[in-house]
Amino acid sequence: MCIAIPVRLTGITPGVMPMGTVEHAGATLACCLAYVPEAGIGDYVVIQNGFAIDVLDPESAALSLAAFAELGAVPAETPA
Amino acid sequence: MTTRLVLDEILDPGAARVVVTRDATGRVSEAAFDLAGLPRVDGLLTGRPAVEVPALVERLCGICPAAHHLAGMRALEALAGVTAVPPTAEAVRRLLHAGAVIAIHVVHLVATDPDAALVLRRLAKAAMATAGSPGHFPATAMPGGVVAPAMPDRRDACAALVPEALAVARRVAERALSAPPGSLDGFGGADVALVDDVGRLDLFGSRLRAVADDGTVLIDGAPASDWDSLVAEAEPGSSAPRPYLVALGSRGTYRVGPVAQLRVADVPTPEAAGLQTAWRTGGGGASAARAVIVVHAVETIAGLLGAPALVAGDVSVPLPPSGPGVGVGWVDGARGLLVHRYEVDAAGVIARATILTPTAQNEPWLGEMLRAAAQDRGTDRARLEDAIREADPCLPCSSAPAGAMGLVVDTVEGP
Repeated sequence: MCIAIPVRLTGITPGVMPMGTVEHAGATLACCLAYVPEAGIGDYVVIQNGFAIDVLDPESAALSLAAFAELGAVPAETPA
Repeated sequence: MTTRLVLDEILDPGAARVVVTRDATGRVSEAAFDLAGLPRVDGLLTGRPAVEVPALVERLCGICPAAHHLAGMRALEALAGVTAVPPTAEAVRRLLHAGAVIAIHVVHLVATDPDAALVLRRLAKAAMATAGSPGHFPATAMPGGVVAPAMPDRRDACAALVPEALAVARRVAERALSAPPGSLDGFGGADVALVDDVGRLDLFGSRLRAVADDGTVLIDGAPASDWDSLVAEAEPGSSAPRPYLVALGSRGTYRVGPVAQLRVADVPTPEAAGLQTAWRTGGGGASAARAVIVVHAVETIAGLLGAPALVAGDVSVPLPPSGPGVGVGWVDGARGLLVHRYEVDAAGVIARATILTPTAQNEPWLGEMLRAAAQDRGTDRARLEDAIREADPCLPCSSAPAGAMGLVVDTVEGP
């Protein structure tokens, strides 16, 4: 099954195709933010195909991360 | 039992691995797409109350949460013997589903036409908000119905977005139809999609239709309760379970998704119906099929917004207690048929759960296209990437820009 873990946006490079960086569990990766122009640094986003497809509010991100943690899939993490 | 999910595999926008098998003469005998990045969570659901499963699964699969939400609710209702929800609940659920289909499909557009993608995303989000799900994760449905009817002010705000969205969707579809389809798809298996009671395409349908490559109807309107007699997994529980149509045995390979949806049945909305005709006569192709389905989804939203039942009426039916048994729920999502099958004990606790995704069902189709590409051009990455884009697996590689997929091709010797 496809798996989507919310990740926190740590940087934004503006442009026609704005790019963002996300960090989680020690990994730093890039994603395109063109589909979510409302995203800001510190937001949690869901990524598909290298594109952030939506922005989560902190409560929703916490629920998702709790679901993963409950299954032992990723370490529990509390959204800022 | 726990599963370790490796984040790098989940987030890397280019990750994709193909295994090509060559026989002793060097001829490509097989090719397969590695689905290791798509772990099955079915085993993790055993022992949990069934009522908790839809919410848990939609959180794990954050890409298509609405599809899991709705398929899960239907499975719970099937367990309780509920076969229909009130018209208002049905309309609100359909609105959520149509919005979600658009939201997922138009991600493919971002790289090539970001303005069009944002127009369509705006409508999709407005439709989902009107259906009671303003956030990424749905809050629309409950077992037996929906939480509330649509609010008239949200309905009106959504309706105001329809004309521009329909014009954009139509333009995108016409452009996609004007591009020559790829030559990779010589799939000889069946196509499977959901239909309404009279056999027209219905992405939120309650009946399943399967059509062979030669047009023979193999399954004509089967209900979800027949699922166990329709489809079985050759490798149960595997990430690549190789499901097949039971009636055809090992020859029963099939595919799902936009190509199957347009091949299986006529689209009932007028704009999309005309585009479907052009798609069929023009040779098809997945990219154009997705675009036609988006037009259909926009038209579906327009129709639902005009339905009085959307904003007034009973929203749920009581759900009687579930005894031991099996409940199957499904939806035909952006990537195709998604099935939730819950087997519960007398206390309503999951004894066995199966979540069969479109990507898992399309793995054999993708394997065929990869083999054709490899036989034709060896390990030419562009051709292999084309095959992956055509099947559109729900992995962080499907719409990577050309040449940027970061494809890893492993060649092994075999029969």
